[in-house]
Amino acid sequence: MRPAVLNIILGLLMLALFVASMAVGPAELGISESVRGLFAGGGEAAGIIMREIRLPRALLGLGIGFTLGISGAVLQGFLRNPLAEPGIIGVSAMAAFGAVLIFYSGLAGSTLYALPAGALLGAVVAVLLLLALAARSGSTLTLILAGVALSSLSAALTSLVLNLSPNPFASYEIIFWLLGSLKDRSMEHVWLALPLMAAGWLLIALSGRAIDALSLGEEAAASLGIHMKRTRLLIVMGTALGVGAATAVAGTIGFVGLVVPHLIRPLTNRLPSRLLLPAGLGGAVLLLAADVAVRLVLPAGELNVGVLTALIGAPFFLWLVVRSRREVFYAA
Amino acid sequence: MTAGKRGVRRTLRKATICLMTLALSSAPVLAQAPARVMSLNLCTDQLAMALAAPGQLTSISLLSRDPSLSAMHEEAETYPVNHGRAEEVFLEKPDLVVTGTYSLHNTTGLLKRLGFRVEEFSFIQTVETIPDDIRRMGALLGQDARAEAMAKGFEAELSQIESRQCGKQPTAIAFEQGGVAAGSGTLADSALAAAGFRNLAAEAGIAGMAPMPIELIVPQKPDVIITRAGEEDQPSLGAKVPYHPALRALEGTRIGPFVPRGTWSCGGPFTMEAVRALASLREDIAPCGETR
Repeated sequence: MRPAVLNIILGLLMLALFVASMAVGPAELGISESVRGLFAGGGEAAGIIMREIRLPRALLGLGIGFTLGISGAVLQGFLRNPLAEPGIIGVSAMAAFGAVLIFYSGLAGSTLYALPAGALLGAVVAVLLLLALAARSGSTLTLILAGVALSSLSAALTSLVLNLSPNPFASYEIIFWLLGSLKDRSMEHVWLALPLMAAGWLLIALSGRAIDALSLGEEAAASLGIHMKRTRLLIVMGTALGVGAATAVAGTIGFVGLVVPHLIRPLTNRLPSRLLLPAGLGGAVLLLAADVAVRLVLPAGELNVGVLTALIGAPFFLWLVVRSRREVFYAA
Repeated sequence: MTAGKRGVRRTLRKATICLMTLALSSAPVLAQAPARVMSLNLCTDQLAMALAAPGQLTSISLLSRDPSLSAMHEEAETYPVNHGRAEEVFLEKPDLVVTGTYSLHNTTGLLKRLGFRVEEFSFIQTVETIPDDIRRMGALLGQDARAEAMAKGFEAELSQIESRQCGKQPTAIAFEQGGVAAGSGTLADSALAAAGFRNLAAEAGIAGMAPMPIELIVPQKPDVIITRAGEEDQPSLGAKVPYHPALRALEGTRIGPFVPRGTWSCGGPFTMEAVRALASLREDIAPCGETR
């Protein structure tokens, strides 16, 4: 499929799901009422619901989905590892731990700015750790195993911090941090996360030429004039900014970055750089769809969206492992 | 409709209480008050602290020192604390253990098998059940007269506050942690009703404590949204839910911790402070004026 056609189709799908996300919620608003509420000002209930509750939720679904999709695509290309993804290699979990540590300790008062600050720190530490490990051994398995260890450790530390919090109800929030959610987000969260995520997309986009060259191997890339240190810095900072900001406002949402690049790669010419934009759009489509589904499946209790992405993604991950078993074990 | 239902419920409750009193009075009278009493539950801790003779209460649960949950947290500092473990009871060898029916089922069962005398208090409390909870604790501790005076005082002030209602009923929602609202059958619901508020969560069909989506609150435009007090220095995401911009955008809705902290986590004599605070808030929002 031609890249432009693919991008347009995914873009239209994303817009349709964005509209669907705006239309779903416990308050049953009619179509004309919703549209009027969205565009007319004032303190009408429908207007407040559309502008302050549903719009931020849809915007975050789109932005976070895009971030997870594009991060998965760039990590798979850069590390030349089909199983790389921010959730599986532990970046999301470390970001969640960083946010939890700074916010719940009350070090920064109870301001929301503590969340992205902590999450970015956690994400940077995670990416640097993993790169150090992956640089020493090029094996697919090493990176995944290190990621599993990092994820489990961060999840345990997250639970520990929440259990030790002076607030007796903080431990109820463990599930939010381990299985993210877009419930009750507001425009404050959008302003907090979206600029950081957009900066992350930009940095990742700048690394496009380098990851194409890297698909020929590191030496060939160097002979093509690719600056490895600069590329690594772009990808570390891009992924950490994007995933850190996404996790700070929505908790850990796994598997989006794994599933989407694999579904979309066969539709591209397989150049890693050509996968970035469609993977981002595809990520937004998947997360928006999942977030609409959780509101329809269990309207009263509302499932965490991270539960649904894991239900889709984990079997997919197993299938990928089985399919690439031979390659993985040879590499080990 | 609701008023009628409430009336029926109250009559039923009174009938049950009469039956219970009959049953209790026909039981053999205890020879003497237990000398060593141990409490394993936040709610029984506070009832016992309010009524026990000096030295009678040997330990209370750890939670009663938490200022955000316990109205008597300062007094709780003067007692040894336990963690609700059977081993602690075994070492302390109290004559009587008081606890709640909700928490620590296993511990309670084990203690009974070991031959300890365990008295359980229901965790379903409303302002109407508080006087009888006080009387029951008083009877258990051998402090009947003190308990009767306390219960009478509570009942008198409650009916005095209820009589100050005057038709206008502002609407309210009481949030506990993380977007969970107090529905019908809860202590908060009964305190709101006594102070003259309509509880929108109960009217929306929420029974007990359950999450109430913000989207459903916005169209109702409640006059008051009550948040948990005492969380300022204990950050949590849940504490931010009642301050969501969609709720702050509602003109004429007051959001804040209007109830003194800890006063309605458990029912006890101190719960009157919550009712008092709510009643004066109600009079501030909807003054009775000349109709009074």
